[in-house]
Amino acid sequence: MVQYNFKKITVVPNGKDFIDIILSRTQRQTPTVVHKGYAISRLRQFYMRKVKYTQQNFHEKLSTIIDEFPRLDDIHPFYGDLLHVLYNKDHYKLALGQINTARNLISKVAKDYVKLLKYGDSLYRCKSLKVAALGRMCTVIKRIGPTLAYLEQIRQHMARLPSIDPNTRTMLICGYPNVGKSSFMNKITRADVDVQPYAFTTKSLFVGHTDYKYLRYQVIDTPGILDRPFEDRNIIEMCSITALAHLRAAVLFFLDISGSCGYSIAQQAALFHSIKSLFMNKPLIIVCNKTDLQPLDGIFEEDRKLVMEMKAEAMKTVIGQGGEPTNEEGVLLTMSTLTEDGVIAVKNAACERLLNQRVELKMKSKKINDCLNRFHVALPKPRDQKERPACIPQAVLEAKAKQAAEKEKRKTEKELEDEYGGAGVYSASLRKNYILANDEWKEDTMPEILDGHNVYDFIDPDILLRLEELEREEGLRQAEEEGDDFEMDGQELSLEEQEALAEIRKKKSLLIQQHRMKKSTAESRPVVPRKFNTDRKFTTGRMGRQLSSLGLDPSLAINRARSKSRGRKRERSVDKREGDGGDAMDIDDNQASKKLRLRSTSRSRSQSRPPGEVIPGEGLKDSAQKIKAIKLAKKSVLKRNKNARRGEADRVIPTLKPKHLFSGKRSIGKTQRR
Amino acid sequence: MRLEKCWFCSSTVYPGHGIQFVRNDAKIFHFCRSKCHKNFKMKRNPRKVKWTKAYRRLHGKDMTQDSTFEFERKRNRPERYDRNLAENTLKAIKKIDKIRSDRASDHIKNRLKTGKVQRQKEARKQLELGIHLVKAPLALAQDSSLCLPKIKVNVSQAQTEENQPMED
Repeated sequence: MVQYNFKKITVVPNGKDFIDIILSRTQRQTPTVVHKGYAISRLRQFYMRKVKYTQQNFHEKLSTIIDEFPRLDDIHPFYGDLLHVLYNKDHYKLALGQINTARNLISKVAKDYVKLLKYGDSLYRCKSLKVAALGRMCTVIKRIGPTLAYLEQIRQHMARLPSIDPNTRTMLICGYPNVGKSSFMNKITRADVDVQPYAFTTKSLFVGHTDYKYLRYQVIDTPGILDRPFEDRNIIEMCSITALAHLRAAVLFFLDISGSCGYSIAQQAALFHSIKSLFMNKPLIIVCNKTDLQPLDGIFEEDRKLVMEMKAEAMKTVIGQGGEPTNEEGVLLTMSTLTEDGVIAVKNAACERLLNQRVELKMKSKKINDCLNRFHVALPKPRDQKERPACIPQAVLEAKAKQAAEKEKRKTEKELEDEYGGAGVYSASLRKNYILANDEWKEDTMPEILDGHNVYDFIDPDILLRLEELEREEGLRQAEEEGDDFEMDGQELSLEEQEALAEIRKKKSLLIQQHRMKKSTAESRPVVPRKFNTDRKFTTGRMGRQLSSLGLDPSLAINRARSKSRGRKRERSVDKREGDGGDAMDIDDNQASKKLRLRSTSRSRSQSRPPGEVIPGEGLKDSAQKIKAIKLAKKSVLKRNKNARRGEADRVIPTLKPKHLFSGKRSIGKTQRR
Repeated sequence: MRLEKCWFCSSTVYPGHGIQFVRNDAKIFHFCRSKCHKNFKMKRNPRKVKWTKAYRRLHGKDMTQDSTFEFERKRNRPERYDRNLAENTLKAIKKIDKIRSDRASDHIKNRLKTGKVQRQKEARKQLELGIHLVKAPLALAQDSSLCLPKIKVNVSQAQTEENQPMED
């Protein structure tokens, strides 16, 4: 049997496109240039080639179409029927037949014209023969244009059919519209089928997959079926009928107990009985859905009787298989897809039934004999007739019983959470099952960090002992320390000594500073003998003060200094003093002599006035103003002096064109302006 | 939550501070701030960088071996909680801390003692040699105590009058 893959059928082009494709290919792939001067055989050959090439292409393409579309007799009857239901077998076959005839027609045309071309005698004739041939071929294709369009549509629809494997484990869901088949499908598989309140929401078959006991099951959701005679059914219903008829699957017949689908239980029961012939040899489960609206126990008597009838029918299928004792549980189940109550149970029951049936069948078939030799259950050979059941110690049995009881009795955390207000409101105390020496400590918070240390690093059961030892050690050590300290004190300086030392250091630093100043100005400072020095530091008073600060008596030294100095009015001052004797006021004399002395020591230089001294005729108000005026004068002169100008009017430029400004290349950049 | 030690300077890294670097051989380095991190990236050896604890310990500036360090050890096995033990531990931590810091400061004091002794000797020498700057040897011979001589300044009223025109 040829394997068909509905999704891999090549696109069927429509009539015009088909012609365009083939003709352009002929144009490109065959030689195009021909002149009437060529040999006649060459001309004929040229045109024959074109005709043949076109025919070949058409043949090829049409053959692919015919081969790729599945033959309804060759595929699985489920698919055959499904395609028949969807596309009408006859139309389909007719379409393919038309394609076939077209192919043959084109071959015939080509054959005829090639024959005629053999006898063409001029370029023009050959050419027109070729034109006619191609034209006829294209007409054929134009005529089957609608067929091609139809086939393209079928191809597109077929590609979208759900990929159902007819041989694997399958569960089929059927029932009236709106009973909850698609919701059930959504719950147990990952399929996302549309669920809407109106009938016939599901318009075609949908496939989902689910797992049970490590095996994969296909779940097929069908559109709803109405209770009608067979001939009146529409295409959608026929899809589900087809599936029911051909697939070897477990059937879940859905029943809406509450009647919210719009159909009563009686109608649903009627449907059941009308299609029960389709349930032959298939494990059947009756599923009562929507129990949240109406529990099974609460329905009316008549309805209950109908349901029991259906159950009886379903039981027949159970008995029909495998001779098992009547297992009531797997036949009639209730659930609600809204509250998810019983959904898993239904799935498990269906899978179980299907699995059992398939295993039974396999066991009965011939194939099992091939595999049987691969199975071997090893049993020890019985020595005697004594029964030796498995030995389970009593303790284990008790423990198991207790565990079971505990599991039922124990309240789970989730239940607690729900009780106390839900996820966001209740937070479980994670510590309540802690095992501690004293139960009061369960909710204790211990600090993890203290004073820059991790507390956990210090925890030690005998920390107290060690701490005691440490403290003892510390006591000893501190005693030793004190002993050491006493030794040190003798070496310190007394208060007087410290003062003296401070003075020494101050003096020394002053000396150093002065020396440094002198050193830095040494080059620019003129070396002047002491008697001309302007600071006037070298006075006897100063000397006297310095000597007395060192603790010496300066008077002798001062006298000597004075006697050695040459002053002009020395004799007069001496006379004056001798003349007056002791009556003259010593102070005045001293003052006068002091002034004279001062004048005499600076004889060679005239004494200038202090800079800010106001001279009455000048016109300045006071000393401050004069100082400011002097400052302004100096400021105005400063810049000129720095530029080596002799005065305001000095505008001499020594070199008008200094070379370094007017020549030379730049290391980087341009020399556009100077 | 744990306080870590900075790998470079050995200061504590509190939660929310610093950077942790995990090397390809799965060794983890903690740094307290970008200064230490940058020094690490420059491949500097903390034992040669003056301000780190590693340097100080290596060069004997800080206390290295002491019994108080034995108390703080990273324990990998958690102990079952015991309230009394926890209380005692918390109190002990404070005492141990105090003892440790006392010992550390003593260590430093001892270290600086030799310097002090030397400085005192120097001061004594300087005093001896430089006394002539503040007290003339003659005066010293007369009065051997170190009490400094005072400057004698003659203050008279007439002098002040004379000085006025000069200073104006």
